Amino acid sequence: MGNWERLVWNQRDVLIQGLLVTIEICAIAFAAAIVMGLGLALIRLYVRPLRWIAGFWIEYCRATPIFVQLMWVNYVWPELIGWPTSFYTAGWVALALQSSGYLAETFRAGIENVGRGQREAAAAVGMSPVLAFRRVVMPQVLLAIAPAIVTQFTVIVKSSTLVSVITVQDLMFQSQRLVNVWYEPIEILTATAGIYILFIFTVSAIGKALADRLRLRYGIGN
Amino acid sequence: MSDTPAVEVVDLHKRFGELEVLRGVSTRVDRGEVVSIIGASGSGKSTLLRCINYLEQPTSGEVRIEGEPVGFERRADGSTRRRSAREIARFRRELGMVFQQFNLWPHMTVLGNVIEAPIRVRGLSRRAALELGRACLDRVQLAEKANEYPARLSGGQQQRVAIARALAMQPKVMLFDEATSALDPELTGEVLEVMRGLATDGTTMIVVTHEMAFAREVSDRAIFLHNGLVEEEGAPAQVFGDPKSERCRQFLAKLLH
Amino acid sequence: MFSENLRETFNLALFWEYRHILLAGLAFNFYVFACSVGVSVVLGFLAALGRVNPLRPLRWLGAIHVETFRNAPDYVMLVWVHFVLPLLISQAIGQRVTFAPFVSAVIALGLVYSGYLAETFRAGIQAVPKGHIEAARACGMGGPLIMRRIILPQAVRMMLPEAMNNFVSLFKATTIVSLITVPDMMYNVSMVTQQEMRPLPLYTGAAITYFLIIWAVAGLARLASERWRRKIWA
Repeated sequence: MGNWERLVWNQRDVLIQGLLVTIEICAIAFAAAIVMGLGLALIRLYVRPLRWIAGFWIEYCRATPIFVQLMWVNYVWPELIGWPTSFYTAGWVALALQSSGYLAETFRAGIENVGRGQREAAAAVGMSPVLAFRRVVMPQVLLAIAPAIVTQFTVIVKSSTLVSVITVQDLMFQSQRLVNVWYEPIEILTATAGIYILFIFTVSAIGKALADRLRLRYGIGN
Repeated sequence: MSDTPAVEVVDLHKRFGELEVLRGVSTRVDRGEVVSIIGASGSGKSTLLRCINYLEQPTSGEVRIEGEPVGFERRADGSTRRRSAREIARFRRELGMVFQQFNLWPHMTVLGNVIEAPIRVRGLSRRAALELGRACLDRVQLAEKANEYPARLSGGQQQRVAIARALAMQPKVMLFDEATSALDPELTGEVLEVMRGLATDGTTMIVVTHEMAFAREVSDRAIFLHNGLVEEEGAPAQVFGDPKSERCRQFLAKLLH
Repeated sequence: MFSENLRETFNLALFWEYRHILLAGLAFNFYVFACSVGVSVVLGFLAALGRVNPLRPLRWLGAIHVETFRNAPDYVMLVWVHFVLPLLISQAIGQRVTFAPFVSAVIALGLVYSGYLAETFRAGIQAVPKGHIEAARACGMGGPLIMRRIILPQAVRMMLPEAMNNFVSLFKATTIVSLITVPDMMYNVSMVTQQEMRPLPLYTGAAITYFLIIWAVAGLARLASERWRRKIWA
């Protein structure tokens, strides 16, 4: 037990610092992914001339492994378009790209699943298409896809461990640095794995409970 | 002015690809009048109703609300200009629509469904909308369900909420598209009761229905559609009791047996 | 400047020049994938059997397995299996053990994806109507026989699309094995990059290659599994 105290408990400040960076980069990536995903879905559904570009982009994001994407954004983008200029930015951009493809498909399915009658009822009381989308369609979409969105956040957290490879100082980075200082990986890495598993488990459990509560409240879905 | 019909339909055609569903329908509905539209499925009666509020764009012909064409504007020099979606939406406020499938918005409470459009489309204050919404729910005898979500209501109750939602726009005309067809037989009564009440209060109504007894009792005029044309039109007593058209006679005979 | 970089980015001649090394790397992606599929299917099936078992301790064991590995990030598991697991085994048997990177990669990915697959299998098994099982029992069939002849043939078809998704994810995950020096394509790309100092075409080429493979395979898998399912449920 002495090892655990020395290697993990006494290093808790470093690990917590790393976890905070993990949470931060995941939150930024998640927000960006939702905005991009919704935008891509809307373009794919409603902007006919750009549809195929959005479709291709979605497929590309979905079918490219996150690690490959991270390397691509980190090494190729700065040379090509002069951005991102920091490893941190490259990290969240790659994470957001990856998830935006999945979220775009989720949004699209959600939007298509809202019945025609719902929009017709909105049109019949004189709502404009934009108002109907905002007030009638979108809330139902969010309700329906809430569990999928939570799952996507956990995917981002899992993938975020890779940003340590490009020296973003997240939990994984800090933990490997500790290993390199002490040369005693058992406790540090086990604790790190435990923290990740517990964190992701908790996020999914809370997200699922919230989504269930919402659906129960409106008496829809199951 | 008072002889301008509430709704006037002139030579309306609607085509879905190869299929011509409406083949030149003309009729008028006066203020305070209750008109029922009957006919076999596929006769075009729902399409006619959906064309009246432009949920379906007519292929040709005119729909006029109080003399104003819905789909286009006629300029002083006689030329015409197609109206934008926004302008058509403005006309739709004058027409309350009740759908076969209710189409209540599941993420809003009953009261939320009713006050949504008054606030966001008509621009009423929340307080005024709430007052109006409660009054409309009262009219369909559902005031006590104001804070429930639609999924918790029976089909009949949902349809009554849908009627209240349409009423809350204080439309000039109410359109009913087979309002009881999706309901279990024991639930149709409460909805028909509400509709009867509206008719008695002098609401202008166009009712597409399969409920012949109701149509006969409540309406001032009945229209029998067949293959996208008005086959028979007149007072209910005549249309239901002594139809001139052979097709109308057959249609009614089939329903009664 | 921009157009120069753009040309450089898509100047895949360099990528082509090293095709033998890179292809050899890609082969490693497939080896890791194939072996991990084996591990994850076996472990996933056992865990799923645990989760639907009438015995409570087995259900708990299955649940712990699923929740642990499904919630573990691939990369964390990879590092843990490579650096910690051999030490734990060494301590247990009193003899020094190390894992070859390839072995660690297969164990780690196999474990992680056994968690996802277990949930997929469980959903498939539980989607078989209760009546079918009761009918089999009424015919006097025993538990293992019912599992083999009645439940699995239906369950496999039902869970196929989701299992395909799991496998596609698993293949994508094989790109991180370079981080523990398994010489896969990403590993070779980084080696060549260090030699040539020209990352643009190499990383772009890798991204395009992986994209094409995964996109095509995922599409085919979707098509095939849909067709197979439709044979049964018209």
